[in-house]
Amino acid sequence: MKKHLVVGIVGTGGDGVMLLGGLLMETVARLGYTASRPQTYESQIRGGGSAVKVNISAEPLLREKDELDVLICFNWREFLKVQNEFLVTENTVVICDEIAPEGQKVKIILFPFTQLAKELLGDARPKNLVIFGYLVKILGLDREVARKIVEETFAGKKYLDNNLKGFDLGRLRSESLLNYGLQLISSKAEPKIVLHGNEAVVRGALKAGCKSFFGYPITPASEIMESMIPRLLKTDGVGFQVEDELSALLTAIGASQAGNKTLVATSGPGFSLMVEGLGLAVQDEIPLVLADVQRAGPATGIPTKTEQGDLALAVYGAHGDAPRVVLAPYDIEGCYRLTIEAFNASEKYQVPVILLSDQLLGQTLFACDDFSKKEYYAENRLPPQESEKGKYRRYKITKDFISPVALPGTEGFTYQTTGLTHNEKGEPASDFQTHQLMHDKRWKKLLPLRERQDLVKIFGNPKAKTGIVTWGSSAQALVSAVLNLGLENKIKIAVPELLFPVPHTALVKFIKETKKLLFVEMNHSGQFYRIVRAWLDLPLPKKTFIYQRSGGKPFSQAELQRCIVEFAFPEVMK
Amino acid sequence: MEVFEPQQYRSSLTPIWCPGCGLYASNGAVTKALANLKIPKEKAVLISGIGCAGRISGYSDVYAMNVLHGRAIPVATGYKLARPDLTVLAAGGDGDLLSIGAGHLPHAVRRNLDMTVLLCDNRIYALTKGQTSPTSFNRETLTSEVLNNPVDPLLDVLAFMNTIKTGFLAQGLANKSEHLAGLIQEGISYNGFAFISIQFNCVTYNDQQQFNALSKNAFILEEGKEVELPDGRKWVHDPSDYDLAMQLMMVSLAERPFIGVIYRGPKKESHLEATKKIIKEKR
Repeated sequence: MKKHLVVGIVGTGGDGVMLLGGLLMETVARLGYTASRPQTYESQIRGGGSAVKVNISAEPLLREKDELDVLICFNWREFLKVQNEFLVTENTVVICDEIAPEGQKVKIILFPFTQLAKELLGDARPKNLVIFGYLVKILGLDREVARKIVEETFAGKKYLDNNLKGFDLGRLRSESLLNYGLQLISSKAEPKIVLHGNEAVVRGALKAGCKSFFGYPITPASEIMESMIPRLLKTDGVGFQVEDELSALLTAIGASQAGNKTLVATSGPGFSLMVEGLGLAVQDEIPLVLADVQRAGPATGIPTKTEQGDLALAVYGAHGDAPRVVLAPYDIEGCYRLTIEAFNASEKYQVPVILLSDQLLGQTLFACDDFSKKEYYAENRLPPQESEKGKYRRYKITKDFISPVALPGTEGFTYQTTGLTHNEKGEPASDFQTHQLMHDKRWKKLLPLRERQDLVKIFGNPKAKTGIVTWGSSAQALVSAVLNLGLENKIKIAVPELLFPVPHTALVKFIKETKKLLFVEMNHSGQFYRIVRAWLDLPLPKKTFIYQRSGGKPFSQAELQRCIVEFAFPEVMK
Repeated sequence: MEVFEPQQYRSSLTPIWCPGCGLYASNGAVTKALANLKIPKEKAVLISGIGCAGRISGYSDVYAMNVLHGRAIPVATGYKLARPDLTVLAAGGDGDLLSIGAGHLPHAVRRNLDMTVLLCDNRIYALTKGQTSPTSFNRETLTSEVLNNPVDPLLDVLAFMNTIKTGFLAQGLANKSEHLAGLIQEGISYNGFAFISIQFNCVTYNDQQQFNALSKNAFILEEGKEVELPDGRKWVHDPSDYDLAMQLMMVSLAERPFIGVIYRGPKKESHLEATKKIIKEKR
């Protein structure tokens, strides 16, 4: 009986790989398992290979694993293309209907699913349903729940009957079914919802009271736009696909200035275009949330693969000193919660907030608890007092440097704002005093964020002297690696969700007693490491190391475990 | 009883414009139009770009925004979408709206939101001291030493805007400010996207004679009045006639500037209205 299980499915486009992965995912979620399903596919829409992994756990925390426990192989040629990411061992059980190429040391189950479908259903296409029925049996999943999901998935479609027949066929077939020990232990948990990080961002934004969205299609962020716009238009919100990302951010500035909480979503190339508008939003203290679902860069890069390379742009992008807030979720719950945090911070501090997600988080499907059932606080921009009527100063210097904002349309509070350096009234100014004062205002208003300890998550043993810092989607792989090595009592891990302003108090606390420090991130230049080095008042320990590499493939357990052991126990490696 | 006077819409700042600049009159025309329409200042929004014309928002006591170069239209779009209850105006110069900002024009026309765009065209980049703009005429006569792309043909913005079926298209002269105020009033009242080109002169960097000739040569279009084209053809002006408008636009500005309402199309659904309808039907 298994607590954790990884199933891989590979085939050509048209084999039904994605659908099969989806059915499996829905079933385990309904049964209360935690699960994840990253996407791996070529850029072409048709004809290219299709590959899916489903990682299932009977425990709340998913455990990452490099090797597959089960492989469903529709096409060996396609498998060979992805064999570096779909690792098999002699313990992997492979279900296929073609003879394996030479040299594959795995446990083969030759199951003629294509032939069965053709002969008994009159159509080869439901072969993936035949496999689904078969898989449900092998994994010991509740077959009534699985069948119901097939019904729901194809409800109203003319091939529903054939698909159900295919599922039943697979279920009843016992093709030399030995006890492979692949049955999952029962999860004992409530049914879970299934969604990807991009969808979690949408739900978080709506929960926070977001009323406008503007964007432009870009892989891997388009899902945010496609989900957000219809939902806004169905209520009293407004959303548009605009002509380019440049326009998206500026249109968002207009909507936000007019009073709406506004979201834009893009990836690296679009973010580069938005940088111009970002400067204006900082200068004019206009609230805004910008979700960047990072992909491998620079320029066009690899649109379908993850990387954590936009941090420097997020922190510094725009000419001049234009400080803003940068948040980065590391898991699906964070995608939801930090979107709400982003809106709160942007409203409270009247500043653009960048939410750094990435392709791995954004497009991986997760089976998780329904976090929307919790209560979340929603912040709104500070309104002026009635007494300011007729003498309103938009950029009035206050104790905490946050000025009340008048809602356009309100009588007696007309004001101007400009991209030029401006005085408290918003009028253009070009003298040093005003310029310096406004710079002070925009930086000092953000300082309280440096104290936010709740936005730095700690894993492992907080008292350990060996520490690892990581952020974003790298964290799940990193924490899994430490757990898989059994080192959770010897190592502490800090995962900041607030990346800028650097969460000073929490990081100083983490690093002060640390003798050995390792940074792990997926970008070539080690961007977060350098930002921490630059902004932390405390010098880093002499034994500070950085594991930095570009995107293009996810962090594997082998890679991270080796890195951790080398770092924490170099004497073992000798 | 509430009184609406043009002066109410002016802010306390002294404009940086040169004495004799046509932007004073243009600004005056805007405030006159708002006063005539009795729009409370807190319900008016003016968004401008960068350039001499871009300064106009700073001199207006409404909810005003001076945004980035070429970007008044996207910001105005977002503003109007969030607050359809407000009167939204966007303003910019010929560099701002027709060079860096040109990419936003066709999409604004397609969206057909109820807002008014004012193009303040002095056929030069004035604030940066005299470079060529997409509408600059005889480059040899520019006083600036700086020559940029002297061989590019002129961007005929009105012909372009008419071709893509801008709902309300008009042109005015800054030195005919009463008439201009009337045009701006009509543009604001038009329920859809309105584009008004205001021809004026840069007294510091551009050719006064050139503008005088333009002004003298201008033909005022009036509904019901006969129009004569340079090639001799004549007909009666009707702003609802799209084909006539196309014919008028075949004549270049230098040859014969047409002043007045060039085209006023029937009310069409805005993109927002149409999308909301589809969403509601899908429910």
